[in-house]
Amino acid sequence: MAHDAQLTCPLCGEVHRPVSLRPGERASCTRCGTVLAKGRRLGPEAPLVFCVTGLILAVPACLLPFITAGKLGDVRVSTLFTGVGALFDHGMRAVAMLVMLCGAFLPIALLGALALLKAPERIRAQVASAGILSRTAEAFEHWAIPEVQVLAVLVALTKLGSVIEVTIGAGFWCYCAMALSLLLAQRSFDYESLASRPGGANAAPRP
Amino acid sequence: MSHSVSFTTKGSSAAAALALAAAVMLIPANLLPVLTTSTSGDTRDDTIFSGAVQLWRHGLGAIAIIVFAASIVIPFLKLAGLAWLIFGVRNGPPRNARRLTRIYAALDFIGRWSMLDVFLAAFLTGLVQFGQLSSVQARSGIVAFAAAVVLTILATQAFDPRALWSGRTDASPTSPPA
Repeated sequence: MAHDAQLTCPLCGEVHRPVSLRPGERASCTRCGTVLAKGRRLGPEAPLVFCVTGLILAVPACLLPFITAGKLGDVRVSTLFTGVGALFDHGMRAVAMLVMLCGAFLPIALLGALALLKAPERIRAQVASAGILSRTAEAFEHWAIPEVQVLAVLVALTKLGSVIEVTIGAGFWCYCAMALSLLLAQRSFDYESLASRPGGANAAPRP
Repeated sequence: MSHSVSFTTKGSSAAAALALAAAVMLIPANLLPVLTTSTSGDTRDDTIFSGAVQLWRHGLGAIAIIVFAASIVIPFLKLAGLAWLIFGVRNGPPRNARRLTRIYAALDFIGRWSMLDVFLAAFLTGLVQFGQLSSVQARSGIVAFAAAVVLTILATQAFDPRALWSGRTDASPTSPPA
């Protein structure tokens, strides 16, 4: 997500001269073969659209019921933060914080950072510089893992299915959609930001 | 026109320290129970491995394989891969730098999936609280496991893959003309 005129491979350090890419084309590092940029299939506003969609979905994902579980008439409704609270109550505060950061706070913060990076300059300038936002987003990318939380919930539901009655709530579907929006925002952001740089990607274009 | 930038291997020392700490944490993570399940007065402690085995015995083979891969295979695979990379750069740029770079990219991608068991424990602990009928509680093993996962992710981030290429001047024949 750097904004220098040249494109440096993050894995081997090779510096490339940008080339323009057609939709569907990929530019690979000439030395290590890492895909550095992809030709844009969607419009330039796609990353911002995905980010805003994800941020809107984050509200019901945080507030609405995730899963409703019942056993012999006893019903329990869980939200995104129920597990965090239970771990906190059991004295596992560090693990609770980790779950909250990786599953809720950082995905939303990453959506916000990416949205600001694509927002009009007059709005972005009031918050932070592009460099700070870009570095923040890169740091968050390793820890924002809502897709893993989605898989964990699906595994748990499969495991619990024969023991208790479970009903999937609207909050979980919104969370899944938010995770998908983040994934699409990251993918479209990467190729859009790299491929649109003056000079383009530094490598051999591949269809 | 393309040129390379040289990078030092100082990150590999930090990566080695973090990977070693992760390896130490994986011992209690795999020996201590991660979950206690109580059903109608019957209480059962499960480690990561016994939890996967239990899923398999209940006919949930696909789920058992996912849990086993994410919670046992991936952490050990990451540590083995990191050890290979760290030893690879100790004596200067390795000859198989391209292959090692791909291994690093794979390690960086798969590492996050080890968090599956941590999310699973949190979710089950929050949802299954039906008193005497049925309840699930997270145990100390999950703390050690979460620490191991965080340390392996930090170790991967500390390792600078550019050290695999530092000092090399080779360029691919596919380089575009200057």
